[in-house]
Amino acid sequence: MTKKEIGRRDFLKKAGAAGVALGSAGIAGGYITPRKVAAQKRAIPKGPIRMAAVSFLTGAAASPFGIPGMNTYQMMAEQYNKQGGILGRKIELLSYDEAGGVDAQVKLSRKLILDDQVDVTLGYISSANCKAVLPLSDELGGLIMAYDCGTHELMEGTTSPYKTPKYSLGFRTKAHLGIDNIGLALYIKKYFPDIKTMGGINQDYAWGRESWLIFETAMKKLMPHVKVVGTWWPPLGTTDFTAHISALMGAKPDIVHSSLWGGDAVTFSKQAQGMGLIERSRMAWSRGEPYPQEVGKEYPEEQIICCAGTHYFLYPPHDKWPLNKYFVEEYRKRYGKYPTYPCYHAYQAIAVYKQAVEKAGALVGGWPTIEEISKAVVGLSIQTPSGHLMIREDHNGIEDVLVGVSKMTPDFPFPILDPQRMEVYPAHMVNAPVGIRTVDWINSWQS
Amino acid sequence: MWPIYILNGLYFAAFIFLISLGLNIILGVMGLLNLAHGSLYAIGAFMAAWTITRLAEGASIFILLPALLTGTALAALFGLFMEYFLIRPMYKRALEYQLLITFGALMLFEDVIKMIWGGEAIYASTPFVLLGRVNILGNPYPAYFLLVMLLALVVGVLIWLFMAKTRIGVMLRAISLDREMATAMGLKINRLGTFSFVLGAALAGFSGALVVPTTPALLGFGMEPLILAFIVVVMGGLGSLKGALIGSLVVGQTRSLGIAFFPEIELAVMFLIAAAILVAKPEGLFGR
Repeated sequence: MTKKEIGRRDFLKKAGAAGVALGSAGIAGGYITPRKVAAQKRAIPKGPIRMAAVSFLTGAAASPFGIPGMNTYQMMAEQYNKQGGILGRKIELLSYDEAGGVDAQVKLSRKLILDDQVDVTLGYISSANCKAVLPLSDELGGLIMAYDCGTHELMEGTTSPYKTPKYSLGFRTKAHLGIDNIGLALYIKKYFPDIKTMGGINQDYAWGRESWLIFETAMKKLMPHVKVVGTWWPPLGTTDFTAHISALMGAKPDIVHSSLWGGDAVTFSKQAQGMGLIERSRMAWSRGEPYPQEVGKEYPEEQIICCAGTHYFLYPPHDKWPLNKYFVEEYRKRYGKYPTYPCYHAYQAIAVYKQAVEKAGALVGGWPTIEEISKAVVGLSIQTPSGHLMIREDHNGIEDVLVGVSKMTPDFPFPILDPQRMEVYPAHMVNAPVGIRTVDWINSWQS
Repeated sequence: MWPIYILNGLYFAAFIFLISLGLNIILGVMGLLNLAHGSLYAIGAFMAAWTITRLAEGASIFILLPALLTGTALAALFGLFMEYFLIRPMYKRALEYQLLITFGALMLFEDVIKMIWGGEAIYASTPFVLLGRVNILGNPYPAYFLLVMLLALVVGVLIWLFMAKTRIGVMLRAISLDREMATAMGLKINRLGTFSFVLGAALAGFSGALVVPTTPALLGFGMEPLILAFIVVVMGGLGSLKGALIGSLVVGQTRSLGIAFFPEIELAVMFLIAAAILVAKPEGLFGR
């Protein structure tokens, strides 16, 4: 037998040896593999992060929202840069005006994503602009974070349940107008259970109509005995509300719901004071937070005011939440005013981006792609000056909401929210579950 | 509430009357549709608001009310510059050029306002608050609104007297009736044109100044009144003082009663009335 036959014992020996060899190789390989990955660690790009911030810098929304929002972006970008930027990259903030209408904003967004190739766009106050621009995130492959627009329709589908997310690269880093109006209704039920009638004055476009829709739907569930005596829809930018005020006085509602903002809110409030409406009916402002400071000591007391979240310069209290103390003091030092809710919203947008990049960066070992950043945003829960913000799988932020009543105190030259009558409604009470439309959710409440 | 509805209509009419009066004078004398009229109104508003905020602390109403005239003066000054540098070179051009240049001025003035006063709203409600309220048949009503009505009436009468009784007024009317003949008669068209433009701008500034105690001065402030003033001018007849008055009253009362009784279609009703007037009398109620 010249040819050596391989017996069963030999085979087992060799197979065993091969197994040991392979096993060793495997161990060695296992030891080597991380080295290979480490060798492939992604580089952090050298240049700065090009961050586009889009906010109203002209027009009626500039002074109450757009400029405070942009101030905050600048302040936070500088703060982050002082701390070393994001993953070592400095932020280059590029400011753009949101004015000019939807077409202008769509063009600007295309330019920002395709020509300028910005890393992220943080922006938009107008719901119409958000609705027009957010679809471009997926269409053109750019990361967009809507920071202040309120429409609940932005991320919702047409029927419940709807598929989420609507856009894979588009987010809104705050809660929608549902929280304001549900919060108001809950507050009214608790503090003014005896009211019998209500009316509404809201601007005649999506914002006003949607705010009233949510408020009315919630009130019908929470206080079904309250009758609607009339609704008025002045156009945006109305400077004379006398006719609306007289009509409201004629209708005699116990509560008047309003989502008026900016100059409209102040004008209405002043004229309503002058004509005596404030003494006959109680106002419930879904976004009233900025105006006591804007108007000063003449701002009326006993107005129900919602804060678009828990965004308030005195809440959370500074001793319990130092981040709010820092934010309020820093903003006031720079701009001479207390921050209002758009400032808090701008903080949220830039902070969500920073934390998502850092989270994704830690996972991939370098600078993440926008898809990786986008995945990191989902489920992100961050501390903000207002408390906690969570971004859900529908790419929408959810927040608690603060409601209170204005009261003059010796401590400030304008009315503040009465500390004895502040209410915070937790996020689960004022935000519809993922995939369920807000109106359907409210209608499903047990009376 | 009826007396209040009527008063609201009169207040709104007073305010629109002052704006449309200026627009109408410029249109009548110069044949120029000034799209920047709303911006001149905004300049008047900002200037007056700024002055009031500087004086407001402890100042009496007798100081604050004349302070509103600073808005009138600055709007007149802007009008003078606008006419001299922008409008005058366009006299011989077609109407489209004039429209474009006034539209350009509208854009420019928005930025000028931003440069001078910044993007922030200016709140100047002290005169409104100081004047307080009066009682009208059991209903409280701000005395400031009554003052605006009175001032609009006084200005209207003064402008009418000026146009009817003074030499310059007669010359302005002559130009508005027949520009070529007036030129042939030796009237200094350019100088009178400048005068009417400045007068129109001052009226725009005056109405802007009158409105700031009731509403904050804001960027983008002049658009709504400009549109309403156009409706008044078209309804009342181009270049007619009487037309501006009646047009303002129709717009004011339709708006006030519309909001009280049929709020959902109030704006549509106003435009329908304007359309009906134009169908029946294409030249407007008192147009020629």
